[in-house]
Amino acid sequence: MSQLTYASIDQTILNTLTPPKKYYWAIVLLLFVGVLIGATCWTYQIFVGIGAGGQNIPVAWGTYLINFVFWVGIAHSGTLISAILHLFRAGWRNPIARAAETMTVFAVCIAGLFPFIHLGRVWQVYYMIPLPNQRLLWPNFLSPLMFDVIAISTYLTVSSLFWYTGLLPDLAAVRDRSTGTRYKIFKFLSMGWTGAHEQWRHYSRGYLFFAALATPLVISVHSVVSWDFALANTPGWHTTIFAPYFVAGAIHSGLAMVLTLMIPLRKVFKYQQIITMEVLENVAKTIVFTGLIVGFAYATEFFIAWYSHNTVEIEQFRWRAFGDYRWGFYFMVLCNTLTPMLFLFKKIRTTIAALFIISLVVNFGMWWERFVIIVGGVAHGFSPYAWGLYAPSIIEYGIMFGAFCLFFFFFVLFAKHLPSISMTEMKEMVEKGAVSHGA
Amino acid sequence: MEPERYIMGLFKDEDQVVAAVNELKTSSYTFHRVNSPFPSHKIMAALKLKKSMVGWFTLAGGIIGLVGGFALAVFASVQWNLIVSGKPIVAIIPFVIVGFEATILFAVFGNILGLLTQTRLPSYKLMQHYDPRCSGEYFGVLASCDAGQEDGLNDFFSRQGAEVRVFE
Repeated sequence: MSQLTYASIDQTILNTLTPPKKYYWAIVLLLFVGVLIGATCWTYQIFVGIGAGGQNIPVAWGTYLINFVFWVGIAHSGTLISAILHLFRAGWRNPIARAAETMTVFAVCIAGLFPFIHLGRVWQVYYMIPLPNQRLLWPNFLSPLMFDVIAISTYLTVSSLFWYTGLLPDLAAVRDRSTGTRYKIFKFLSMGWTGAHEQWRHYSRGYLFFAALATPLVISVHSVVSWDFALANTPGWHTTIFAPYFVAGAIHSGLAMVLTLMIPLRKVFKYQQIITMEVLENVAKTIVFTGLIVGFAYATEFFIAWYSHNTVEIEQFRWRAFGDYRWGFYFMVLCNTLTPMLFLFKKIRTTIAALFIISLVVNFGMWWERFVIIVGGVAHGFSPYAWGLYAPSIIEYGIMFGAFCLFFFFFVLFAKHLPSISMTEMKEMVEKGAVSHGA
Repeated sequence: MEPERYIMGLFKDEDQVVAAVNELKTSSYTFHRVNSPFPSHKIMAALKLKKSMVGWFTLAGGIIGLVGGFALAVFASVQWNLIVSGKPIVAIIPFVIVGFEATILFAVFGNILGLLTQTRLPSYKLMQHYDPRCSGEYFGVLASCDAGQEDGLNDFFSRQGAEVRVFE
């Protein structure tokens, strides 16, 4: 490996901000068309009513809630990488922290859209804001759905501020190498940052507090999301394991998405010197760990159902493995627990193609995990008379497709317009000798 | 009185910065600041900087959030005044969640406020006597002297191994 210097770090990262070529704008346009498809479907639903989706009693929570939980989960690994690994002083997180944080911000935005979509009459969303509405009613803070509003809006605010704070010194670096309009924009965005020792003194402290606050927040947010389900007296949902199970699953899916995004980014921007194989390998090892946790949670749910001697719980889990949605269950076990174990083999976790494919498999499996939990619980509840099945409508597929396009649309725009790797943190790594120093 | 001249020594090596700062402090020149592309612990240690006050802002924000979160939940429930799911009107355990999230949110607001006030951002005046190379690969040590001492300060930085930039 050739040696990294402060200059080579700047050059590699700033080179990614050169004016994009036509094929870049073609990708942006394609993704935008995808976003428009989703927006059209949502508009149609607003005019026709929530019945345009496939949700109906007993399955009133379909893909909108599945996607909500999926995207909140994706967001979590960004905070794991930027905050938790920062506190643990894990230097390998530095090359991927910025992109992972950005992924968090965009994923929370996408997740936050789904409760609006699910609401149907979206203009009545202000009922969830802690202000008295026209009937002088206040939100009910005893409801897990209100916990969710507070948790997700806090998470979006904190992760956005954390992201921007981390970006500040790099915005100044871009400003210092820009001219014309770009200089003016980055001068405004960097707020006059100069990297004076007094600024660094407060910044380092503030960033540490950010990390220390984001760590309990990220654990609380997906715990709160899990309580949307666990606090309901529904078979398959009403269990105390849900909070840690959801948090581990969130980090599992998020890490897989980090690989899905980092591998093409590394290739396109020629980041091989910075996002080394060791970094990708460490992400893969963490996926093995989280995969084992979710596998343990799957097994525990079955054990507790059997151990409880509760007929309804036993039936719920028998049906999960052998009922109408059994293929969803097989997907989740195969993709989330068994496939990631391939990363135990060094040859596989150091092969780019294998890393990328397995990351896609885990993303797929984690979506199905949310399907099995959310749809399975209400589709096969206490009363056989109320059992029913659910299939998403074309409108739901359209909205889901639009949401994925919106996420990648944001990410592609980010990658070409802002530094996708933290120059500051990379230079710190070089200074500490965590990577080869050629200065 | 002779006009003051601002001169920056641009170094590529932190150890040279530390040596220059230590000598500047005992010299007749006025040391102003070090601009660096990342927070250097060696330089921070050489400058013997006090602990930042940002944490107090964070703590104050956290306390406001904790009290405010609980107060909001209690106030809203009292307005509702209907027993839901057999839970008391003022139910402490569910309100811990609201209080916890508000604690984090307002602690972060406090943290941001602390950062902005302590670093004096946003302010474009801070870019006076600043060399853009300091966000790249150079560490800039800014010092000033009377116009008559300009050559001496230039020589001082050159002896320390720096490139010298004189601000007009």
